[in-house]
Amino acid sequence: MNHRDRWSRGPAAPKVVRRLRRAPAVVAASAAGFAGVLALHTGSRPSILGVSGPSTVRVDTSTTTTDPRHAPPPTAPPAAAATSALGNNEQYGYGVLAVRITVRAGRITNVSVANLQTAEQYSQSLAQQVIPVLRHEVLSAQSAHINGISGATYTSEAYASSVQSALDRLGTK
Amino acid sequence: MIAWYASDLAGVIIHAEPVMGTMVSFQVDQGSCTAREAAAAVASACARLHELDAIFSTFKPDSPVSQFRAGQLRVDDVPREMALVLGLCEEARELSLGWFDPWAMPGGFDPTGLVKGWATEQALTVLRTAGIETAVVNGGGDVAVLGRPPDARAWRIGIRHPWKPEALACVLEVDCAVATSGSYERGPHLINPRNGAMLSCIASATVVGSSLALCDALATALVVAGDEGPELARSLTGYEAYLIQADGKEGATEGIAFASGEVA
Repeated sequence: MNHRDRWSRGPAAPKVVRRLRRAPAVVAASAAGFAGVLALHTGSRPSILGVSGPSTVRVDTSTTTTDPRHAPPPTAPPAAAATSALGNNEQYGYGVLAVRITVRAGRITNVSVANLQTAEQYSQSLAQQVIPVLRHEVLSAQSAHINGISGATYTSEAYASSVQSALDRLGTK
Repeated sequence: MIAWYASDLAGVIIHAEPVMGTMVSFQVDQGSCTAREAAAAVASACARLHELDAIFSTFKPDSPVSQFRAGQLRVDDVPREMALVLGLCEEARELSLGWFDPWAMPGGFDPTGLVKGWATEQALTVLRTAGIETAVVNGGGDVAVLGRPPDARAWRIGIRHPWKPEALACVLEVDCAVATSGSYERGPHLINPRNGAMLSCIASATVVGSSLALCDALATALVVAGDEGPELARSLTGYEAYLIQADGKEGATEGIAFASGEVA
């Protein structure tokens, strides 16, 4: 069990060890999967690991953690009310990024990476770390549980711009 | 950066501005301002960010900070903003017991570890001066808040988990400013000024306090301090810290407020 120490500043203050519930902070709607991101981890090409999806909604399952022999049957396509749009390819400091968003009833229900190209392996691994955080920010901000995320940097600009362009394409204000 | 927020919350302006090599996002409640006034305030804040970027970019060879680094600009001749930042850098160096030291960076003076937080704070100041009472400005992960959220007693800011990309490490309640640095980042500001090393046993450091500039610098200092990070955290006056060590152990000073229920 993980725990957090509480550091007191004065020698007289009692030491408080606070145990907090762990792991509830995983991304909501994880059933929708990290389509683009998982593909990044399984790809073997060093620099271009883009995942181009069809223009309709698609629910991907993990290719890294699911044993195909015991895989659940393919998920049925979502209701026809869902629409998706591809965002622009956005340049950022270390490469190019594009996302695809899925919107249903005026809310974004998924964001996946449609394209990610980086010049070097290190940038790619950084992007792999940051992108899910940005995705979380997009999805969870809508539910108003949190007002922002501290510590997400680098690919933020390209990610947000691509999300915005996809929204513009859908006519979402 | 959450443009679709606007459809849910009437009177809230959402804007994302690419500047300073990152994205600065605004959530601004227009409050008693008109929509036009609030939009003008956000535009002014963005203009200010671009002005500050022009002064402090180490990538632009003719920026004042580049000229200062190259010895072409004397300390007495720097712009007012840079004089302020130099003062804050000294304050941060002192508070951090030397673990944050822009003067010890390879390539010369580099205040990058403090400027992003400071500029984000300046953007919030522009909003406040324009009459805005409720806002969040997030400068690439350095977050400054104003007022209170309409539906809660404090702003809830998720802290990026250093190595579980699908998770937040925790959610903190914040009433002023919070910054997070991690050894997952890169850049000269994470070099140990004492020995030039880049590795740290601190995977992530978060600092909460009144000045976002100092939060930013102190978070960096706590990462580069490595083994001495917890001791440095305890020594900070007026600033609270939350550390995640490379072995997964977490610790926080007494004043860190973890949000109840964390992320639902």
